Amino acid sequence: MALTKVYDAATVFKHMSGILNVYKPAGMKVTHVRNAILSNICKGLNEMEQRKPRQLRENRTLLGTGTAADHVLHNIGEQTDLSDHLLSTGPRYLPRDLSCATVSSLGDHTSGVLLFGINRGTGQSSSIRKNRPVRVYHLIGQLGSATENHLPDSRVTMRSNHRHVSADRISSLAASMQASHQRKMFELCGVDLQTQEAYELACRGLLRPADDSQPVVYGIKLIHFERPHFTLELHAINETQEYLATLVHDMALDLRTVAHCCQLRCVRHAHFDVTDSLLRHAWHLPGIIKNLRQQRDILKAHPQLLRQQRVELQATE
Amino acid sequence: MFCSAIRNILRNSLNAAENRAITSQIRNLRGQQTRHEIEVLASPSISSKDDDKKKESAEHKGSKEVALDFRNREAHVPSFNLAAYVNNSSTLQQFISLGVNLHSIERRKGLGDFVLKLDFEKNVKPYITFLVDQGISPDDFARMFTKNPLLFKEDLDDLQTRVDYLKSKRFSDEARQRILTHNPYWLMFSTRRVDRRLGYFQKEFKLSGHDLRLLATREPNVITYNMEHLRKSVFTLKEEMGFNAKELSALVVRKPRLLMISPDDLVERFCYIHQDMGLPHAQIVQCPELLASREFRLRERHEFLKLLGRAQYDPQKDLYISPKTIVEGNNFYFIRNVAKSDLETFDLFLKTR
Repeated sequence: MALTKVYDAATVFKHMSGILNVYKPAGMKVTHVRNAILSNICKGLNEMEQRKPRQLRENRTLLGTGTAADHVLHNIGEQTDLSDHLLSTGPRYLPRDLSCATVSSLGDHTSGVLLFGINRGTGQSSSIRKNRPVRVYHLIGQLGSATENHLPDSRVTMRSNHRHVSADRISSLAASMQASHQRKMFELCGVDLQTQEAYELACRGLLRPADDSQPVVYGIKLIHFERPHFTLELHAINETQEYLATLVHDMALDLRTVAHCCQLRCVRHAHFDVTDSLLRHAWHLPGIIKNLRQQRDILKAHPQLLRQQRVELQATE
Repeated sequence: MFCSAIRNILRNSLNAAENRAITSQIRNLRGQQTRHEIEVLASPSISSKDDDKKKESAEHKGSKEVALDFRNREAHVPSFNLAAYVNNSSTLQQFISLGVNLHSIERRKGLGDFVLKLDFEKNVKPYITFLVDQGISPDDFARMFTKNPLLFKEDLDDLQTRVDYLKSKRFSDEARQRILTHNPYWLMFSTRRVDRRLGYFQKEFKLSGHDLRLLATREPNVITYNMEHLRKSVFTLKEEMGFNAKELSALVVRKPRLLMISPDDLVERFCYIHQDMGLPHAQIVQCPELLASREFRLRERHEFLKLLGRAQYDPQKDLYISPKTIVEGNNFYFIRNVAKSDLETFDLFLKTR
């Protein structure tokens, strides 16, 4: 299909639906991101070509001659309905005209991939949410000081030495934590890890929690260490910002030091990657439309994101 | 039981009273409208609907004896917005042709009623001629009337006095035009009040007459801004950030908008500039644009420069980058001309934040 340029707001609005992949900056609430996106969409739409004001047809008797000039006379009789004028009705598109739902929320300090379903995409967004895809995080922890809520903006509660911490000690701790989390998942299913049942369960794929109450971690890996900062890559479902920050804090306690989480970044949500997420300076109508199209391609390439109702994949608790 | 009955009766009577008031208002409106329409007939500007109007007005005349006229129903129905009355009111039609945004007027309380009751010839035209006499270009009328339709409530002599006051304070013609167009509320303030405000600014920042005029012309909204907020901003700048009197006056004259920014934001920006970017007070006074730019923008750009190793703001050393250029222009301009990098690198960098 050939691409054509569109100048008409109504056409754009009609095609404005799907999943949007936004890069949420740290320190900005999800609702603020949502409001910014919606108002930018509306601003863009209102700058495009608008529908003309309605015509007012007055009941007037024209001298109909029954000739070809008749409709010309009727056209003169018509006039614009000023109550439909842009200046009296206000802008044609308002943020509340668009429906918008997040696939799953991110905390205030977390940056990274944030998925929105827009208009007809809200259905898609809820089915993605129900499938509980894995999210991948990069957590940067700072060794040496602990804070009250384990995030950088609060009071420092403890300081300690971290000379004895090395990269391989962090990685070995991460590996053991990963193993214990995996074991916990099988135990929740009521299967012993050393049985045929557990093997068969594992063969069928990722074991997912049945509801979104319990955070489950699938993998923790140290990917970068530069004292005092260390970066963990973490695969998880149902996690929250507080849970991740506490995890970093607990890891540091196991390493006999203290740490707080100085950056949380979601780099992947299912197949939606950070590389094609929309940065703040591209939150305008053309950028958003382009991004919607890219995400549509991703959804087409991975249809299992939308319909994946295999019961056996979900652990019963 | 008895009480409730009494209450019901009372409520009914109240409703009736309201209804009576509404109907009398509507009748008034009708009367005015018919008058407008007759006047419109005299003016040659709207000619396309002439014969139509004639017919309508004839109808109205015919129906004057009847208490309720159901023929043109829309005019009776109370409405939430002005759009419902636009087709019937010539004043509103004139406003639309001027470009006044009725939709934003009606959102503010009471203004919709006020605008609806205006008569273009009587209440609006003299003000337009007055504004034209002050040298304001017709393009700005739409914005001014949208912002402040209550201007039509003021007495013309008062307005003249207020303009004369500005003249007496030796504001030039251009300055006066700029003040009136950029701050449509200025003319609502009495001479005494404006004088007090100007006095406050002059005393607080120890400004010379020339500087005060410069300040008022540069950002006329500051003079009529909420006094409480202004005091808070001045306190923030003086006590929390520690600018001394001389620096403060220079800062305010260069960028009066700083006084209208919320103090919390201002402190946040200042902290970043002073502590993380390491700029001293003197340098901040040199480029107050830094304080006027949002914190995330500063942060992004400064950290990108730091990553490239170009964040060098000391003019004594090599590879100096003027802090002013950091906040200038859009991202593309910044990356090409200041950071001398490319947009892809910047995007990748932002995705690690």
